[in-house]
Amino acid sequence: MSEIAIRFDGVSKKYRLHHGWYISVRDELARLARRVLLRDPGEPHEFWALQDVSFEIKRGETIGLIGANGAGKSTILKILSRVTTPTRGSFAVAGKVGALIEVGAGFHPDLTGRENVYLNGAIMGMRKREIDAKFDQIVAFAEVEAFIDTPLKYYSSGMMVRLGFAVAAHIEPEILLVDEVLAVGDAAFQAKCLNKIAELKEQDKTIVLVSHVMPSILQHSTRVLWIDHGRVQAFGDLDDTAERYLRTVQAQAAAGSAEEAAIRPTPDSPIHITTVTLRDADGRPAHSIAYGQPALVEIGYVVAGPIDDPVVAVTFHDARGYPLGSVTSRLDGMRLDMSAGHGAVRLVLSPVLFTRGSYGLAVAIHDSRIQRYLDLKPRAVSFMVDGPSVASREVTGHVIYPHRWESIREKVD
Amino acid sequence: MSYLNDLISHRHLILSFAQRDIRAKYKQTIFGVAWAVFQPFSLMVAFTFVFSRFAQVDSEGIPYPIFTYSALIFWTCFASSVSQGTIAMTANANLVRKIYFPRETLLLAVMISALIDLAIAAVVFVAMLLYYGMGLTWASLWVIPLLVLQILVTLAVICVTSAVHVHFRDIGHVLPLALLLWMLATPVAYPLSSVPASTRSLYMLNPMAGVIEGYRQVLLHGSPPDPGYLASAFAAALLGVILAYLFFKRAERTFADVI
Repeated sequence: MSEIAIRFDGVSKKYRLHHGWYISVRDELARLARRVLLRDPGEPHEFWALQDVSFEIKRGETIGLIGANGAGKSTILKILSRVTTPTRGSFAVAGKVGALIEVGAGFHPDLTGRENVYLNGAIMGMRKREIDAKFDQIVAFAEVEAFIDTPLKYYSSGMMVRLGFAVAAHIEPEILLVDEVLAVGDAAFQAKCLNKIAELKEQDKTIVLVSHVMPSILQHSTRVLWIDHGRVQAFGDLDDTAERYLRTVQAQAAAGSAEEAAIRPTPDSPIHITTVTLRDADGRPAHSIAYGQPALVEIGYVVAGPIDDPVVAVTFHDARGYPLGSVTSRLDGMRLDMSAGHGAVRLVLSPVLFTRGSYGLAVAIHDSRIQRYLDLKPRAVSFMVDGPSVASREVTGHVIYPHRWESIREKVD
Repeated sequence: MSYLNDLISHRHLILSFAQRDIRAKYKQTIFGVAWAVFQPFSLMVAFTFVFSRFAQVDSEGIPYPIFTYSALIFWTCFASSVSQGTIAMTANANLVRKIYFPRETLLLAVMISALIDLAIAAVVFVAMLLYYGMGLTWASLWVIPLLVLQILVTLAVICVTSAVHVHFRDIGHVLPLALLLWMLATPVAYPLSSVPASTRSLYMLNPMAGVIEGYRQVLLHGSPPDPGYLASAFAAALLGVILAYLFFKRAERTFADVI
């Protein structure tokens, strides 16, 4: 079980930003002229997509490959699938590689579904006999039985994607590379794809799943490889690495919104948010809350002018800023005290029901009709929740809804 | 050697690509495979008027239509595989960018699809033999080594041009003109005997000149080709194809990056 399936040893990959010697020659001359005349070195004409990347993946492991756009994930996949070769360093892959990268790349619009299944299978390295044996399974998986002898150009894009995935999923590679193709298709088809991945996992196949952040994919991973700016940032267990990655993404987003926050939505606003503080059950300022424990959000404000019944809204979002839910003072019948020049409200979360991970909350004060922002703190607080993890596979998503189970003894009809 | 092992393990892919090319080529056409005959046939008609009626080119005692058609079917096979082969990488850029497979399978598929067109066009050649009351001799079997020689020359050419086309699309613009000039430098419309003896040795450096003249000799005159020429042409073509293949495999590594 400890055989190495994939090994990268100091792999670097350089791309030229221009192709063709004539373009390069022209650009080099232009650069030279700039350097001599203006003493400006100019932009370099190469780009290192990967720099000294080394890692080992054992047979039977499922690896989540994460990183921001342009971090080098796709380049790793391209090297693994032998589409391109590293500029420096070496790599070894033990076994047949199947790639779910842009499914259906080999389809021809004028050929029928049947002809395309054979063609695409052959491109992916299947023999005719193998395709014959799996043909019915592939067609059933793709749910295109009725159209199998229709030219592909009359297929809907959904049908094409399903057929592409179906072929790729049936090539039975020892190493399967999955790019974010699962983002396509409807929920039922996604579930089918995830089941197929789980099935391959049980067969002790090595799987590399690529994701920006996709919990449904990540929860299948045994380890996570985090690539940042072409280098290995971390390679470790799911919870730890994914969490560090999410925290970094959040920090970057927060850094961006600090600038946003400096620009108030309404400069002459009659009310400003002054402080937002998260406290634990004992009232101490906290950055980490345990699942199931209460937490307090305190919002301070100053009133600068006449104002009629403002509304406070608190929105929770995940590490990438995707809103998960919100509460408003209006809906809960809470009115802000406007009598003094300043005041504070406290939102009591009893208890916190988020799953393990990194979260943020935004605080907004609206006018009485909730049509205008009077003030907005888009990333007022970031916090961690310690609790049930998606890695346990017991939970999915971000929230465990308040609930209880009951056994039903009488007959239900 | 590892190149060849890899290629052999993908041999079924060559056929799949060839099948795709042929099917896609004749789908949604009214005349279907008749188009394979159309090009050499219409050139034959035009050449007969221009070179036989107007210019009165000598055809060595053979009816001019079959004289030129016997060369045109093979030349068409060569020209279409060179023009299709040159753009084979770029025409399949979507595949090359995303999926690994030995890229030369695309070239071999082009070759196969051109050979099938040749076989269809050859049916008309047989019909013309019957029409002119001409028979074939055992010397006709020399067509097979000549065809192998032609395939080697074609592959050597497209290994280089297809790889270069990935980087420089200029070659796509040059190609039609180059093929036209090449045909004029090959005894397609006229016999080799009309080339002055003084320039003959230079003329014969064109590998297609010996091949095309060879077809006509073995099919229409029933005389075997010069074994010395054939052997040296084979050796040169083999060396050419090996060097071109190594060049192609070296260039192949960065196809996906620049295509």
